Amino acid sequence: MVCLSRALVVSCMVKPSVPYKPCSLSSRFLHAKPRLGSKWRSMASEPDSSSFAPSIDSNASPDKTAAGFCIIEGPETVQDFAKMELQEIQDNIRSRRNKIFLQMEEVRRLRIQQRIKSAELGILKEERENELPNFPSFIPFLPPLTSANLKVYYATCYSLIAGIILFGGLLAPTLELKLGLGGTSYADFIRSMHLPMQLSQVDPIVASFSGGAVGVISALMVVEINNVKQQEHKRCKYCLGTGYLACARCSNTGSLVLIEPVSTVIGGNRPLSAPKTERCSNCSGSGKVMCPTCLCTGMAMASEHDPRIDPFD
Amino acid sequence: MAGVLLWVISPKENATALLSLIPRSGKQKRCRLCPGLKFSTGFSAISSAVANPARSAEEKVYEVVLKQAALVKEKRQKKALDLKRTDETDGMTDWDLLNEAYDRCGEVCAEYAKTFYLGTLLMTPECRRAVWAIYVWCRRTDELVDGPNASHITPSALDRWEKRLDDLFEGRPYDMLDAALSDTVSKYPVDIQPFKDMIEGMRLDLKKSRYQNFDELYLYCYYVAGTVGLMTVPVMGIAPESKASTASVYNAALALGIANQLTNILRDVGEDARRGRIYLPQDELARAGLSDDDIFCGEITDKWRNFMKDQIKRARMFFDEAEKGVAELNAASRWPVWASLLLYRQILDAIEENDYNNFTERAYVGKAKKFASLPVAYGRALMGTSKLF
Repeated sequence: MVCLSRALVVSCMVKPSVPYKPCSLSSRFLHAKPRLGSKWRSMASEPDSSSFAPSIDSNASPDKTAAGFCIIEGPETVQDFAKMELQEIQDNIRSRRNKIFLQMEEVRRLRIQQRIKSAELGILKEERENELPNFPSFIPFLPPLTSANLKVYYATCYSLIAGIILFGGLLAPTLELKLGLGGTSYADFIRSMHLPMQLSQVDPIVASFSGGAVGVISALMVVEINNVKQQEHKRCKYCLGTGYLACARCSNTGSLVLIEPVSTVIGGNRPLSAPKTERCSNCSGSGKVMCPTCLCTGMAMASEHDPRIDPFD
Repeated sequence: MAGVLLWVISPKENATALLSLIPRSGKQKRCRLCPGLKFSTGFSAISSAVANPARSAEEKVYEVVLKQAALVKEKRQKKALDLKRTDETDGMTDWDLLNEAYDRCGEVCAEYAKTFYLGTLLMTPECRRAVWAIYVWCRRTDELVDGPNASHITPSALDRWEKRLDDLFEGRPYDMLDAALSDTVSKYPVDIQPFKDMIEGMRLDLKKSRYQNFDELYLYCYYVAGTVGLMTVPVMGIAPESKASTASVYNAALALGIANQLTNILRDVGEDARRGRIYLPQDELARAGLSDDDIFCGEITDKWRNFMKDQIKRARMFFDEAEKGVAELNAASRWPVWASLLLYRQILDAIEENDYNNFTERAYVGKAKKFASLPVAYGRALMGTSKLF
């Protein structure tokens, strides 16, 4: 991963900076760069730098820091793009999306080259991307699934079903006939459990169907709950997956009430007019501000593939 | 995050618990330190006495501690007269949002620091919420340089984060989690300096990966762990009947933070080495005949064992220093802090039991031992201030 990010940085540094970057902000970017360069060097020396290495291109990436953009929002950050006209904004959005698209393609090509070069140098690549990737099982307490594991899963499943059918169809009746084991009739069982006798009148098909259905439904429920737990685990814990935290300035309403001192002496009997409100500058009226942990993706660990959630959705 | 801390007990310990949780996840912040003078505990006998004319880290940190103690008194007097504060918290008189914010802080704490969270349950509800708010802020700050988005962090990002801190201390929080901390600092006499020091620690962490002497390491430990002690002592409160000076209680909190951080460091030597970071003083390693390569190799030699013995001895000295102050805390807070102190001390024992193999084995205190420490901690917490001195 470090190699990849290094390659990214190299490629980004080789490219000239984005032409549509506002000039006034480029000086801030240049100032930030040398320090980040040293950070980059110190990080590059680690075999396994931060748990999330690929986006180290942020130093040179135009769409993040090049514009002087800072991921921590402050009360004045929403002004960063506020001076643009609507058409300019749309053009900027379009060009940035194009850039993202092209850079993803470049990442793919770089990965190909990386694989070729490592193969030439004899560096073994342990990951096989075409095989079934390792992912956790939906059923609690079971080990994660891999392609090898899957065969074991199939084998276990079929043998269990076959075994149960054999047991119910052959073994149990045989034991009953030969050894006299078991053989409790349904009525005897109901009587021994002191349940109402009408339950013993149910016919065996209905009984086995109900039993099977209850088992299947509860099993599905267990799997689903486990699935929910796993998905929740992937959610950012700070914003609970929404990507945003409530704006404290306007208390999540989006508007600020302007308080004007009103003199009661001069006003006399006139009723007070409703207080004027203005759009909260912190959150631009949406009532929520960016969660800096997940960068508005709602995921516990943001990656370049996660879409950024819109506050007005 | 570093191993879960026993956060159970009193404020100082909480701080260390917070600290241990925060910085140790492999990206430790380093502080550049002035080489220095001897610390009052005299442990400097172990650290190299570098004869530099500049002030030592310990002295600088001690000054901060004294200032904190003085500020607490000032704040208490000021709060009685300061009515302005209530007007400044625009937006945060919405109690539902505030309660929700505190609950969210609790959830984050429960998610990332389970033992610590269980410890906070031993505190009073008000105290607990405040500790959660502090924990969440510290954790968010740590994640800036150590989390998934660490590569996007520029120095200007840290400056903005610091600006947000200033704003929230003035009653203008930016988002709901800042609002929880803002409410906490308005209710308790918490000073902003430890928070700023923690951000300073983050800045240094972007630069350093080796520590030349214990002085530098001490400053680092102060920035990432000692500050938490200083943050939480005002929340936990000092017992009214305590005869100890405020400064000494803060010192003990600081010592507990440092002790916890040193324990983390000693426990995670292998893990940090795998990330290319060594949090042990270079001069002491050299004196023991060890080099960085020995650590990267991960071989347990007698030299390593002797070196570790000295390091553990020093960490234990800090724990002893901290114990002096725990009894001075509020009765309700003593139990959690004692428990966390005892539990964290046991990690050092676990390292010894692993034959000082902190490269491949993780020193772990089992659940049984953890539970067994709770009644012991309770007993010690009951002793109170009368038994000391």
